[in-house]
Amino acid sequence: MAKRIFNVLFIFSLMMVMPVKAADFPVKEVQVIIPWAAGGATDLIFRALAATTGKYLGKAVVIVNRPGGGSAVGYTEGAKAKPDGYMLTSAVTPLTILPHQVATAYTYKDFDPIINVVSDPSMFLIRADAPWKSLKEFIDYAKKNPDMITVGNSGAGGGVHLVALAFEKAAGVKFNHIPFSGGGPSVTAILGGHINAVSVSPPEGIEHVKAGKLKIIALFAEKRFEMFPDVQTVKEQGIDFVMGMWRGLISPKGTPPDAIKKLHDAFKQGMDDPAFIKNAKDMAVNLSYLGPEAFGKLMANDHEFFGKLVKEIKK
Amino acid sequence: MFESFQHLATGFGIATTIQNLLYCLIGAIVGTLVGVLPGLGPIAGIALLIPATFGLNPTSAIIMLAGIYYGAMYGGSTTSILLNVPGETASVITCIDGYQMAQKGRAGPALAMCAIGSFIAGSIGIFGLVFLAPPLAEAALAFGPPEYFSLMVFAFIVLSNVTGTSLVKSLMMAVIGLIIGTIGLDPVTGDARFTFGSIPLLSGIEFVAVAIGLFGIGEVLTNVNQPLEMLEQKVLIPRLRELYPSFQDLKRSIGAILRGAGIGFGVGLVPGPAPVIATYASYMTERKISKHPEEFGKGAIEGVAGPESANNSACQSAFIPLFVLGIPFAPPTAILLGALLIHGVSPGPLMISNHPQLFWGVIASMYIGNFILLILNLPFVPLFANILRIPKKILLPLVILFCITGMFTVNNSVFDIWIMLLFGGLGFLMRKWAFEGAPLLLALVLGPKLEVAFRQSLMISHGNFGVFINRPISMAFLIGMLLFLILPIFWKLFKKTEKGGGGSSKQ
Repeated sequence: MAKRIFNVLFIFSLMMVMPVKAADFPVKEVQVIIPWAAGGATDLIFRALAATTGKYLGKAVVIVNRPGGGSAVGYTEGAKAKPDGYMLTSAVTPLTILPHQVATAYTYKDFDPIINVVSDPSMFLIRADAPWKSLKEFIDYAKKNPDMITVGNSGAGGGVHLVALAFEKAAGVKFNHIPFSGGGPSVTAILGGHINAVSVSPPEGIEHVKAGKLKIIALFAEKRFEMFPDVQTVKEQGIDFVMGMWRGLISPKGTPPDAIKKLHDAFKQGMDDPAFIKNAKDMAVNLSYLGPEAFGKLMANDHEFFGKLVKEIKK
Repeated sequence: MFESFQHLATGFGIATTIQNLLYCLIGAIVGTLVGVLPGLGPIAGIALLIPATFGLNPTSAIIMLAGIYYGAMYGGSTTSILLNVPGETASVITCIDGYQMAQKGRAGPALAMCAIGSFIAGSIGIFGLVFLAPPLAEAALAFGPPEYFSLMVFAFIVLSNVTGTSLVKSLMMAVIGLIIGTIGLDPVTGDARFTFGSIPLLSGIEFVAVAIGLFGIGEVLTNVNQPLEMLEQKVLIPRLRELYPSFQDLKRSIGAILRGAGIGFGVGLVPGPAPVIATYASYMTERKISKHPEEFGKGAIEGVAGPESANNSACQSAFIPLFVLGIPFAPPTAILLGALLIHGVSPGPLMISNHPQLFWGVIASMYIGNFILLILNLPFVPLFANILRIPKKILLPLVILFCITGMFTVNNSVFDIWIMLLFGGLGFLMRKWAFEGAPLLLALVLGPKLEVAFRQSLMISHGNFGVFINRPISMAFLIGMLLFLILPIFWKLFKKTEKGGGGSSKQ
C-alpha cells in the first residue's frame, strides 16, 4: 500500500518538473511577461494575441503577470531572463519612461525588439453623471481649483501617469494624481466614484463608455474614434496635445536571430488572424504593425523624447 | 425573480449537453488536482488549460475553466488536513484543526466534511449569484480606498488573534507579518525597500513560500525533533467505520457550514484577498460562538467545516463583479476575464444581455459542477486518509519533497524554495515557543493592501484624515473595530461588579 502511494506521489512530482530538451525552436510554450496586474489593457491585448498566435507558433503562448513598482519588477525580470526566446516581455511605452525617473536595472537597450502590435491614443474618462459637460468646463474647473480634480492612473511613473502630467502642462492646469496597481483597479475606482477622472488608454473602460456609465472627456488622438464619432479630440478643441501608447514584444538582448524571426512571423500571423482582428476591434485598440527594426527605432526615439519630457517636468 | 428561473432553466438545457457535461467534469477533476498539489493553485491551473480551449465555443470553455477555479477550493483542504501543508492560500486556516483531527485518526470525517461543506456553501453561493448579482455588484463599487482601508484595519484587529491563544503573541506575529510585507517595491513611488540589491526580493516575499514553510516544513522539523521511537510510529489509523462523519459530526458542522457560506459570500464581494479573510473570519466566528471553545486548535470539526465552506462561497461571489461589471476583483477571475476575451466575449456591463446563453449556461454548470465535485471527492476520502498509514520516517521526507517541488511550480523560482526553508526553520522555533503562524500570514496578506489603500485615501483627501470617518461604510468598520476592542473591557468590569452571579457562558 505504502509503495503504491509512493508511486502516485512520485508520478505527481514528475508531472510537476517535466524536463524539456530538444534542438528546434520552439520546443515548449513561450511565456510573455506582463509587468502589470491581470485585467489591464496590456494584459487583455496580449492574452488575445497569445490565443491566436499559439497555433502558428506550434506551442502555446502563456501570459505571466508580474505587477509591481510601476512595471519595474516585470521588466527587470524580463531583462534578466535567459535570451533563448522562451521568455518574452510585453514592451509598452513606460519601458522608455521609467528608466528616466528611477534607477532601473534596465533600459530598452537590454532587449531585442520583436514586433509592435498596437498603438493607441490616450484619454481621460469621467463618470457619465459628472458635473462637467465638455472639455472646456473640465479645464476651466481645473484652472479655478488647482490640485482638486483627482485623476487615477495605473501606477506611479507609468505611461498614463506621464500622459496626464504632460497634458497638465499643455493645458496649464494641475491635477491630483492617484496611483493604482493597474488599469483594472483605476477603472473600478472611477465607476465607484472615488476619483473624478481616470487616465487610460483603450481598451480600458471602453465597455463602460459603450454602456453609458463613463464618458470620454479628453481624447489625445490625431483623429476621432471610429466607434465614438461624436467625441472630439483635444486638438480639435484648441489644445495641441497628441499622445498615445504603443505595445509590442521584446526579448532579452542576445536572443538568437532565427528565434526572433520565428517569433516575429508567428506573432505577425497571430495579428492577421481574423479572430484577433475582431477582438482588437471589440476592444477599440488600434492595430499598428512594425517589424523588429522599425520597432527598435520607435523605442529609441521615445526613449529620447521622454528623457527630455521627464527632465522638464522635474524642474 | 420568475425571469431568472426561466433563464436558469434554459441554462440547464445548455449545461446538460453531453459535451458541456464532459468539460464540466474535466474542469472539476483538474481543479481538484490543482487544489491538492501544494503550490500549484487555481491561477496556474486555469492559465495552463486556456490553450486547450482554443477550439471550443466560449460557453464550453468558460464552463471548464470556471470548474477549475471552484474545484480547487475542494482540493485545497486535503494536504492541509493530512500533512499540515496548505494546498492553496485559502486553506491555511484548515491546517489548524484539520491536521489535529488527522493526528487523532479522524482524517476521514475532516476530509468528508470539507467536501460536504464546500458543496452546501457552493450551492448557496450560486443561488446568491443568480438572484442578487446586479445590486451586489453595484454595492461592491462603493468600496473605495478609504472603505478598503477601514475594512482591512477592522479585519486586522479582529482576526489577528484568530486562534485565541495569546493576544500579545498574536499581535507580535502580526507585526512581523506586516514588516515582511513591506519588502519589495514601494507600491506608490516604485522605490525598492529592504531588498538589499536583490532582484528576486523586488517582487516581495511570496505568500505561498511563507505559508508552506511555517506550516508544512515547520511541522516536519518539529516531528524530527522528537525521540527516534516516535518516528517509527504511524499516525493513528482510522477504522473503516470512522472514515465518514458520524451523525454527531454532521449536527455539529451544519451551523458552521451555513455561517461560513454567509460570511464567504459577503466577503467574496470585496476586492482583494477575499477567500483568505473569509476563512479567518469563519474560524473566528465558530470559535467565539462554540459551546466548547477549548476544542479549537485540538481538532474541532467546526474549525474545518466553517472555513472550507467560506472559501467556496467566496469563490462563487467573486464571479459577480466579473459577470456584472466585467471587472476582476481576484487574480483567478482576472484570468477568466482574459479567457472570455480570447473567445470573443467582451466582459463588461453589457455581457449578460449580449451573451445570455453563456452567462446562464455557466451558472447552471456550476450547480452541476459542485455536485460532480461532491461525488468525485467523497470516494477519495479513504484513499487520502490511508496516506497516514505510511510510517513517519518515510512520510516526512516525502512531505519535504512534495513541498519543494510544489513551491517551485508557483514561480519557477529556486529563490522561493530557500525562502520556504527559511520560514520552515522559523516555523519550528515558533512551535517550540508556542507562537502561532496564522496571524503572521494574515498580516502578510493584508499589510501591503492596507498600505496602498491608506496612501491612496490620503492622496485623494489631500492629507485629511477625516476621509476615514466622513464616509459611512468606512466609519462603520472603524466603530466596529473600536467596539471589538472596548466591549471586552466593559464586560469584565460589569462581571466584577456583579460577582457571584454565576457568570455568563458567553465569551
